[in-house]
Amino acid sequence: MPGVGARDFSGEIPVERRFPLHLEPAIGTIHDLYDQAKQSRWDPERDIPWDQFVRADYPPETMAAARLSWSRKAWLEYGGLPETPALIIRFCLEQQRESDPKYFLAVRNTEEAWHLECCHRFAEECGGFIEQPASPGYRALFNQGLHREALDASRSLDAYVAAHVAIQDGLDLELCRLHCDSTRDPVAREILERLYSDKLRHTAFGWLYLNARASGWGEAERREIAAEVEHVVHNVELAGLRCAWLAGDAAADIVRADRITREAGLGAATRDEEEPVLERFLGASAAQFGRMGVEVKLSP
Amino acid sequence: MSLADTQLHEPTRKPTLLDAAEERFPLRLGVEIQKVRDLFRTATRNQWDPRTDIDWSALDDLDLDDDHRTAARMYWSRRAWSEYGAISESPALLIRFCQERREPDLRYFFTIRTQEEARHAEACYRMAEKLGGYFEQPALVDFQKSVATHGVRKMALDPETPLEAIIASLVCAAEEVAFDVFRHLVEITPNKAANQVLRSIMRDEVRHCGFGWAYLEHRIPQMTRGEIEVCERAVITMIRDVEMNGYHSAWLAPESDAMRGEVEADRLTWEAGLGATVEELEKPVFVASVKSIRERLAPLGIAIPTFTHPKFDGPV
Repeated sequence: MPGVGARDFSGEIPVERRFPLHLEPAIGTIHDLYDQAKQSRWDPERDIPWDQFVRADYPPETMAAARLSWSRKAWLEYGGLPETPALIIRFCLEQQRESDPKYFLAVRNTEEAWHLECCHRFAEECGGFIEQPASPGYRALFNQGLHREALDASRSLDAYVAAHVAIQDGLDLELCRLHCDSTRDPVAREILERLYSDKLRHTAFGWLYLNARASGWGEAERREIAAEVEHVVHNVELAGLRCAWLAGDAAADIVRADRITREAGLGAATRDEEEPVLERFLGASAAQFGRMGVEVKLSP
Repeated sequence: MSLADTQLHEPTRKPTLLDAAEERFPLRLGVEIQKVRDLFRTATRNQWDPRTDIDWSALDDLDLDDDHRTAARMYWSRRAWSEYGAISESPALLIRFCQERREPDLRYFFTIRTQEEARHAEACYRMAEKLGGYFEQPALVDFQKSVATHGVRKMALDPETPLEAIIASLVCAAEEVAFDVFRHLVEITPNKAANQVLRSIMRDEVRHCGFGWAYLEHRIPQMTRGEIEVCERAVITMIRDVEMNGYHSAWLAPESDAMRGEVEADRLTWEAGLGATVEELEKPVFVASVKSIRERLAPLGIAIPTFTHPKFDGPV
């Protein structure tokens, strides 16, 4: 597990100059995503058929595995709670940034809270939410401090969106689809369908924003974007943050649990299933960045 | 250290919460403040969309002269700037809740609160646009100060400013006054679209205030007398130096061209029935609001004195 923990914070956040305050739609595609998100609102309490989950239908070892698999989903989903507000603030502080991302991210943060609530509750239904990874090394991989990076004036906002939205949210989306496809339990299935539907917009936001910005990038900005993307792929994702089988012994318990959870149709996947998804995603992302003039090396 | 030594060093930057590394675990997610969790769930069930849930046609074919129309555009633009301030600032409080690993209910609730602030800004922007066009900035530089922030972001990220003092002053005082004024505006605004916007915002604001009171009621029993006194001073400062200096109500601000322009725009907008109020109507609302805040804080051990201001005959 060659991953790295949180990086240094420069100590400086951008200084706001609020006026002139542009609130008009500037990127139509992202404004449409915002409108779609408002219309797609849902309620974890009412829209998930919680009473259809029958714990007694599953053997205890399956439930023990599922509670770990779903606790890990909650640990991942939780990341959005501090990260998205920091990203909203950053968009507000940067001079002349468009209004649409600010609106869109405000909705995204609520959706992240719903995702978290669902994953936490399903872990509870399976026997109880587990508050932390067993391995200290694996724990450290979650503590990336993305809220600090989003606000750090020394880091490019576009590079942040490229690495943490297009790549990390994009991989999250692909894995969510994979997990959903093999899920037979009606409650787990409904949760993953809801998450997938929201995550489609979250990922689309990243690529649409980069497409809107790409024509203004110079060589230095492209290099910074490439470096940031390669950092999150090699030091975070290929260290096993989402694909636990890449974390080696540090997440062996999770890999075992995911295999059992997958066999029971409760919402996980095995290494054999995730590996080709990861490879395809990284290949497609590298090609997409290439079309924007950003050359990245993303092979596992 | 010699003088030369000091000159070689950068000025010391005050540490913020962002200097501390993230420590996500152990991650508590269960219910710890039921009232706040319930507010999150109520908010989830009561979302609205400014684009589709307001009858914007009520702003078509209004019989308005240029002065009233321009005033209304300015009033709603100003309101949009103010709501935008919350989008830009209140997320800092969520960062603080996460960084200090406060009760999980706060974190859930604030995700939707920020979304509500975005809806409010969008609705106010749409009002200004429908009335002829949103203004991107105040006409007078002085006025920028009156719509500037109360420094929420800085306070939220300052580990030396107690969270409870921020919540007490910002939510239980400032937002409570704002809510009471919203309720008054709903009562007096005849135009259907303007009334729907104000009513929709007010319904969100009632939860924002409810959050503040629920949190204070939860925390106060765990706080020392000294900590409660910090909250008390913060509330007094907010009412005396921010609210009574015209933060929400322009007629309370010190005399200036900017203040007079704002008061006049409010009056013309009110005359047009499009959503503002005037000093003579708002004065008793403000007095009642401060009285209510005082009475509600007293059982929590927070004593708020009366205040004086040239616009009022007696103590407020």
